[in-house]
Amino acid sequence: MKISREARRAAREMFRLSLVDGRLNTARVKDISDRLVTEKPRSFLEILKEYTRLVRLELAKRHAVIESALALSEDESSRILADLKTRFGNDITAELRVQPDLLAGIRVKVGSDVWDGSVRNRLNTLSQQL
Amino acid sequence: MSNILQELEAKIEGIQSASTSKTNVGIVREIGDGVAKIEGLSGAMLNEMLEFPGGLYGLALNLEETEVGAIILGDYTKISEGDEVKTTGRLLQVPVGKELLGRVVDSLGQPLDGKGPINAKEFYPVEKIAPGIIKRKSVNQPVQTGIMAIDAMVPVGRGQRELIIGDRATGKTTIALDTILNQAKINQAGEAGGDPNFRPLYSIYVAIGQKNANIARVIGTLEEHDALKYTVIVAASASDSATNQYIAPFSGASIGEWFMQNGQDAIIVFDDLSKHANAYRQISLLLKRPSGREAYPGDVFYLHSRLLERSARLAEGYGNGSLTAFPIIETQAGDVSAYIATNVISITDGQIYLEADLFFQGIRPAISVGLSVSRVGSAAQIKAMKQVAGKIKGDLAQYRELAAFAQFGSDLDARTKATLERGQRVVELFKQTQYQPMDVQLQAAVLWSMQKGYLDTIPVERIKEFQGKLQEFLSTRKESTLSKILAKKQIDEEVEKELAAALEEFKVIFK
Ligand SMILES: Nc1ncnc2c1ncn2[C@@H]1O[C@H](COP(=O)(O)OP(=O)(O)OP(=O)(O)O)[C@@H](O)[C@H]1O
Ligand SMILES: [Mg+2]
Repeated sequence: MKISREARRAAREMFRLSLVDGRLNTARVKDISDRLVTEKPRSFLEILKEYTRLVRLELAKRHAVIESALALSEDESSRILADLKTRFGNDITAELRVQPDLLAGIRVKVGSDVWDGSVRNRLNTLSQQL
Repeated sequence: MSNILQELEAKIEGIQSASTSKTNVGIVREIGDGVAKIEGLSGAMLNEMLEFPGGLYGLALNLEETEVGAIILGDYTKISEGDEVKTTGRLLQVPVGKELLGRVVDSLGQPLDGKGPINAKEFYPVEKIAPGIIKRKSVNQPVQTGIMAIDAMVPVGRGQRELIIGDRATGKTTIALDTILNQAKINQAGEAGGDPNFRPLYSIYVAIGQKNANIARVIGTLEEHDALKYTVIVAASASDSATNQYIAPFSGASIGEWFMQNGQDAIIVFDDLSKHANAYRQISLLLKRPSGREAYPGDVFYLHSRLLERSARLAEGYGNGSLTAFPIIETQAGDVSAYIATNVISITDGQIYLEADLFFQGIRPAISVGLSVSRVGSAAQIKAMKQVAGKIKGDLAQYRELAAFAQFGSDLDARTKATLERGQRVVELFKQTQYQPMDVQLQAAVLWSMQKGYLDTIPVERIKEFQGKLQEFLSTRKESTLSKILAKKQIDEEVEKELAAALEEFKVIFK
């Protein structure tokens, strides 16, 4: 998607205003996006799309995706979640996904960081070393 | 019993968690023309290798707040939007070492010649920090190009960076090729001579953005002269991606550095950096980097300076190895003030400037005396060459000036006439057919006979014939005198006497 430099700058500025103490503030996000849509400045749709992208990336930083080959038990998943909270703070959200092609083990993704303990990953590493 | 089981399980857990690798990932948002925009990858480093699905790799070149711009090292059409990309923690590496000699490889060091795998034992990163100033040693060992005009007037030293610059089809590649052929010739003689202190000089030829036919011509010529075995060819042709063309000279530099770091000597030819700059411009446009003069990205100067900085001669304590660079630049209508040309001129230690006019007049190699310089100068010549070539460059430059207005005046004074006569003969002497590099001892002997006036009585039209026969005479009949020049590295009284006698003898034979 082509986006003009001004639109990008505007989106970034809006994003900055949406943070309170370095954390995304839901009320502000709603307020800012509402104002953008009612005021309709030049290329506001572009700006809104870019702003949404930034918000999505920011949310991803505080959201964990936990993948496992088989569904995790209640006990296992709450242990992992507790571990994530000590690491990343209490406001982290998480979702569980079953991903059979991991073969076994789990893979946790927070933002763009990935901790991969799956058998598939180990096999890939092995096959690269050979 | 249950204790031991728990212990075992704890062990397994320990091993498993230790092998949990932390990486950083991103998602391909845009892909095209060998460049990918990747969202995420917040942990990527500049120049880090990125892994795409299907075993494809890319290089992280642009690090932005929420995006990484990467160039793809392979078939980018296999990558799609939405693909996941991983950091690897590794920098791009190429195989290095003697195993590469005699081989033709691509910009990642993979064989292109169908001669089987290259069993290199070492790998070097493609981007490297140039040797610091402390480790460098001043340049005072010659690289004999075998081209008399260069060895006499713009001598090149080991570790130097000498630019070859000129319009298209003025003989730039041929100069580099002749230099490589001459190293092979010297290496062969040196190996046969059995001197334990002999230092062979290896060559790396990097072809960037050239037609495949030109690359084939270079390989063919090297094979024909049995010089390929001392040479590594790194090829990224015009049909390869801009990415591969961009990386090729850096890979070549790594291959060359291996020789330098291991106490050996090598030369590296970058043919040519004009096309390299174009490949870089193309990549930068795709990465949407801001562009400056002539639409090149602002850091194109830094690109070439960090490449050429890697040539050096290392100090004794660091193995005394060297890497000598011959970058090539193509000019348009002789214009050396174009952006890329001025950049590279300012980075190098001198230039061999080729003139289209001279080339078409049949003065080949078409070296412009006035515009060619070597900042290292005679420090890189053996004494014998200093003795016979000291004044030639100045004299020839003076001749060119005089020749320009001698056409108008008929009554010239005796001194002017003498300068013109001498100049015309030197121009003839310096004409040299391609792929026939000359040994330094023969060059010194020929220039000595010119200096001593033996050519003054020979008509200009017969100089080439005289020279050819003289060289043959000296090489076949006076080999011991030539060997003495090489061994003593100078023309002392004894050699001088022998040369004088040889020339008297030859003058009688030559009619
Ligand atoms: N010293 C020489 N004597 C005779 N022919 C020569 C000499 N040097 C070059 N040539 C011929 O001139 C032509 C151009 O030479 P070369 O390919 O080296 O030039 P170039 O400047 O590298 O050209 P390009 O711009 O295509 O890269 C070739 O056909 C080559 O054989
Ligand atoms: Mg060429």
